[in-house]
Formats: sequence, structure tokens, C-alpha cells
Amino acid sequence: MWRRFAGLVLLAGAAALPGAAASIALTTGTLGAATIAAPRCTTAGLTVFQNLAAGTVVSVTVSGLPAACGGAVAQVTVNNGLANSSGTNTVPGGGGAVTVTITAAVAVSAAEQTDLVLTGP
Amino acid sequence: MTLRRWRVAAGGVGLALGMTLLLGTAVGLAEGLNLTSRAFTPYQTCTITATPAATTAVNDTTVRQGAPTSNFGAITTIRVQSGVGSNNRIYVHFDLSVCSPAIPATATVRLATLRLFVTAMSAVCRTLDLFPVTAAWTEIAITWNNQPFGTALNNPPTASRTGSFAVGTPVGCQNPTTGTYITGGTVTADVASFVSGGSTNFGWMIRDDVEGSATTRTETFSAKELGTIAQVPQLVITYVTVP
Repeated sequence: MWRRFAGLVLLAGAAALPGAAASIALTTGTLGAATIAAPRCTTAGLTVFQNLAAGTVVSVTVSGLPAACGGAVAQVTVNNGLANSSGTNTVPGGGGAVTVTITAAVAVSAAEQTDLVLTGP
Repeated sequence: MTLRRWRVAAGGVGLALGMTLLLGTAVGLAEGLNLTSRAFTPYQTCTITATPAATTAVNDTTVRQGAPTSNFGAITTIRVQSGVGSNNRIYVHFDLSVCSPAIPATATVRLATLRLFVTAMSAVCRTLDLFPVTAAWTEIAITWNNQPFGTALNNPPTASRTGSFAVGTPVGCQNPTTGTYITGGTVTADVASFVSGGSTNFGWMIRDDVEGSATTRTETFSAKELGTIAQVPQLVITYVTVP
């Protein structure tokens, strides 16, 4: 019985640890002082063209990627104001172009917003 | 039984001590936080497509020297032509306000590309020049005679163009095949100026680099009035809001 109780105490303690870490108290001045800008793999002008099928966007091709972006994960979200859809693909090692297929086709409208995020390498 | 109780109590104390040490360590880490971050590269793109066919957000038309008082805003093709007394120019305009979310005036435009779907081209490679228009015009009223740039040939001069692309069937020409969107219609500087408010967006005029060719040369593109989404004109603007 005591062993079970001890086990419960240990489990409760272990469960409490992530909570304690997530609510850790820090002075904002210290945290703000540590703010840094995230590095970019490129600042070049990338072409972001839609690939269409039957009046819908089914994928997006990103080209003009330098080798510095090779291996990065390209996440694309297409939004036409009524619906949106996303997809991911990995940039080839040498850069170049990558086509990202989105999970659901998005109807072409007067204007679509495409958000592209390259994470890594 | 007593021994077991002591062990549990000792274990509890040990756990509490461990948590205290852990918290103490976490505070120490936060003060000396040393993160190795990965590259994070965000871009935003607004793609303006000339659809539906009746949209007023995109205007495209041709003015024809051979029919100087006629308007061709309702036809399904637009074209550039160089010929003796038969020069044609394209006027095209995209309303950037249809982008949602709106492109902030402080955004940095990385690339803007005008896309036209070519359906017919010359047997020689022709250079087509892009000029930002400096006065208002309408698709239903513009003609050769009342066009903003006037009727003088090869005006404005090539030196003032802000972009160009080449079209023609010879091998090595920039755009040698029909049935596809042209490449090379880069208008980044113009769009950046429109976005920042540096200039007013009246669209572009596209003319042959050398008007008045002895042999008539024609490049034809799909207009919005065709109603085929996969062929209508597009303007693709890629930008960042945090440089």
C-alpha cells in the first residue's frame, strides 16, 4: 500500500514538473534583454506561383531558392478569403525550386494570399 | 510498517529537494539563456487574378493605331504589334486594394511579376517594353488616339522602361513557346512604389521595343474577357513585413 502511495506521490511530482516550468517566473526586463532577430536563409525575391486545376489552386511552386535554403521545410498556406489550405515540402539540398501540394484545393478568386515560411536549415 | 513510512517520507523530502534544485536550475538557465535558433524565413504573396471576366479589379485592353478611335476593351485577347501604320499596345491595370490582408505601405516588396498567357507570337524574337502609366484610363474608353502616352511611335523612349521581356519562336528567345505564361515580366520597383505611395498605380503600357517594323510582328495574349482562369492576366506580389 505504501509503495502504491509512494508511486502516486512520485507520479504527481513528475506531472507537476512541466507545470512548474511552464509557469516559471522571470523578470520581463531580463527576458526582453535577450530578444534576438531570427536569421533568414534568404532575402531574395522568390517566385511564388500557383498551379491550377479546374479553377482551383492545387499546389504552389516556389523558385529562386538559394542553396542556403536547401533542406529547409517550406510551409505554404493559401487563403482566398473564404477557405484556406496548407501543405509542406522540403527544399532540395541545392536550393532551386520546390512544389508544395496543399491538402485541399482552394478556388481561385480575385486575389489569394499565400503565406510561405521556410523553417531551417 | 514504520520503516516503510520513513522511506516514503524521505522520498518525499528528496522529491521536494529535487524540484527545488530543478527550479533553481531553471532560473539560472533563464538568466543565462543561450538558444541556438534555426533560420525562419517568412514571405507573403498576393496573387491578383483577372477573374471573373467582368471584374473591374483588373483592366486589360489593346489600343490599335489602325483603328485609332475604336475601343477594344471587350475582346478576349490583348496584343502587341509592330508594323507600318498598324502598331498595337497593351494597357493593363491591377487594383492592389483587392489584396486581403492589404499590403502594408511599409512592406518590402521582394518580387512583383506580371504574368500574361501567350497564345501567338512572331517568328522572330521581339522585345516588349513595360512602362508604368502616369495618368488614368478606362478599359471601356481608351483608344489609340486618347491613350495616356500619346500617339508618337517609340514613345516613351526605351530608356525609360521599367521592365521588358522577349517573345518569339527562335531557339534562345526568352519566351519561345505559346500556351504558357511568359517569364520575365518583372515589375518589382513599380509595385514597390505603388505600395509605398511613391507613385500612383495606373498600371502599365506594353509596346514593342521598336515600333513601325517593316514586317508586321504580333504577340497575342489572353485577356480577362476570355474567362479561362488558367490563362487570364495575373500580378503576383511577394513581400515581407519584417525585413
